[in-house]
Amino acid sequence: MATATSHQSIVSFASHRSSSSSSSTISQCLLREPLLNLPISKGFKIHSSLSCNNHTTSKKRNLCKIKAVASSQTETSVSSYNNNTFLSPSKNIPDLSKKKSNEAALILIRHGESLWNEKNLFTGCVDVPLTEKGVEEAIEAGKRISNIPVDVIFTSSLIRAQMTAMLAMIQHRRKKVPIILHDESEQAKTWSQVFSDETKNQSIPVIPAWQLNERMYGELQGLNKQETAERYGKEQVHEWRRSYDIPPPKGESLEMCAERAVAYFQDNIEPKLAAGKNVMIAAHGNSLRSIIMYLDKLTCQEVISLELSTGIPLLYIFKEGKFMKRGSPVGPTEAGVYAYTKSLAQYRQKLEEDSEVICS
Amino acid sequence: MATTTMSHQAIGSIVSHNRPFKASLFQKEPLNVPMKLSPKRFKIEAAASSQVIDNTVLSSPSKNKPFESKKKSNEAALILIRHGESLWNEKNLFTGCVDVPLTQKGVGEAIEAGKKISNIPVDLIFTSSLIRAQMTAMLAMTQHRRKKVPIILHNESVKAKTWSHVFSEETRKQSIPVIAAWQLNERMYGELQGLNKKETAERYGTEQVHEWRRSYEIPPPKGESLEMCAERAVAYFEDNIKPELASGNNVMIAAHGNSLRSIIMYLDDLTSQEVTTLDLSTGIPLLYIFKDGKFMKRGSPVGPTEAGVYAYTKRLAQYREKLDEASLN
Repeated sequence: MATATSHQSIVSFASHRSSSSSSSTISQCLLREPLLNLPISKGFKIHSSLSCNNHTTSKKRNLCKIKAVASSQTETSVSSYNNNTFLSPSKNIPDLSKKKSNEAALILIRHGESLWNEKNLFTGCVDVPLTEKGVEEAIEAGKRISNIPVDVIFTSSLIRAQMTAMLAMIQHRRKKVPIILHDESEQAKTWSQVFSDETKNQSIPVIPAWQLNERMYGELQGLNKQETAERYGKEQVHEWRRSYDIPPPKGESLEMCAERAVAYFQDNIEPKLAAGKNVMIAAHGNSLRSIIMYLDKLTCQEVISLELSTGIPLLYIFKEGKFMKRGSPVGPTEAGVYAYTKSLAQYRQKLEEDSEVICS
Repeated sequence: MATTTMSHQAIGSIVSHNRPFKASLFQKEPLNVPMKLSPKRFKIEAAASSQVIDNTVLSSPSKNKPFESKKKSNEAALILIRHGESLWNEKNLFTGCVDVPLTQKGVGEAIEAGKKISNIPVDLIFTSSLIRAQMTAMLAMTQHRRKKVPIILHNESVKAKTWSHVFSEETRKQSIPVIAAWQLNERMYGELQGLNKKETAERYGTEQVHEWRRSYEIPPPKGESLEMCAERAVAYFEDNIKPELASGNNVMIAAHGNSLRSIIMYLDDLTSQEVTTLDLSTGIPLLYIFKDGKFMKRGSPVGPTEAGVYAYTKRLAQYREKLDEASLN
């Protein structure tokens, strides 16, 4: 069944500043944690006096959880960054001792306008940079996810996705620094080594992977829409662009793109999530919708009509082996998305506390 | 020779002469040929023959003829840009070759740099393999008035080459190849990478650290000395960049403090003493003109409205005029 599943809808929640009873509708719909009976207000703190009256034991758990989240993030980064085995994570046992949380955030961001989008040329895997508009889209995307924890970043090997990730992270409230890992040669590995444990703790590894590249468009790369229609005929071009399994000459079909993108996701990204690491993926229209097809179990028909907005981050929560779509965070002031899970809410609170400490 | 603190902070400005420049085709003719007056309609000549984005040619430019057929001009512009603030600059950590991105300020510096060189022709861009230099180049180019699109070449594998192939002649003509080279990376700081200045002083002693940072030939443990950095940066420049300039291609290099001052040492014939005191401003582009085998320092372009720098050579002035005409149409 072909449904135009558009991820353009921005899921927004009215912030309830009133009593806990009104927030219970949200909690009923989405939330399973008792903590989320709390009224959702801007600078909310987890007070013992608040309405977790049925779950007194959870209070203690909450406090422990905050610490665990804080320390786990540092430890996780150290071990993963220390070993070069980080680069083949599937071969290692995820470090369950790090994080007691059994859930993780997954952020997907599609890069914005590139210089060839502007010129209406088929881009594919040609490494074309962002326009000014694309730069702004990246910055805007960053503002929306500025409070969602990020432990590891995956990008494609193309500059427009990498720049999108780096520009987005400039807006992030965390203090950690993204560092792009290099393993193209022995020298590249050695030369990029970090010699301070503390610094490693404060780093977010960024892993570029060609498997997350845009769909390779073969002989259409560099052609404009008109040129292409003239060369091959409109019908044929439409078929290449919109079919699932028919590749343009010397190019990839969406199916082929999905194959390598999803395989990469399963081998390298999903284990991270399973280990409780929060992941951001900055990539392209086709590689991302391939992944969404996997996350949401879409059919081929559904994925063909799936349009992913540029620059609007998509949030998923990975919990107990399942992916739950959580829409698009609308910004740092919107408390809604942090009500999704306890750990996100605690993370947000920790950021608030940190910034208060610094100010005082 | 006395140690002079040669700071490239000086912005060379030349009073603009309101001499009207004659319109002419933007053909790369040698300057000793009298320029012909021609109608305003101009064509960009058969640069097609140069197959600018043919990866097999570009991936090892030193082994191939640079795009000679393209340009007859015997002069070319060389722009050097040092990237701006990175996230570890902000934290006061030794960065070296750790691939740390720009801060918001660094992004702003790149865009400002771009505005200053928006009218200087760029045919080819070289960067290091580190994101802060690459982003600086790409952000700067968003400000450029040309219509051409920078495209990063990939030759890390056969697949990477094949996958990034461009299939339209016309599109290739409208492209500026961007070549990422580790030889233009920042000086590799070995065991100091990731340490803060305090940690380092504690671990090794202030004197020792000062020596590593300021000497010419003493490397930090497992790292490069400035001399070693200069060796690979200048060799790369001579083998890959100079031939391009020699055939009239205008080049931009976006790189790092140490790799750039190594190149400047070569361009300006500095001594090792002089280069250790050379401090290159971040985000302020430096312009050189390469002509008849010589490099002439031309200061820092101050911005698109400053006609001065374009008065340096007739060709640059004509390029500027062509851009003006293009935007009027």
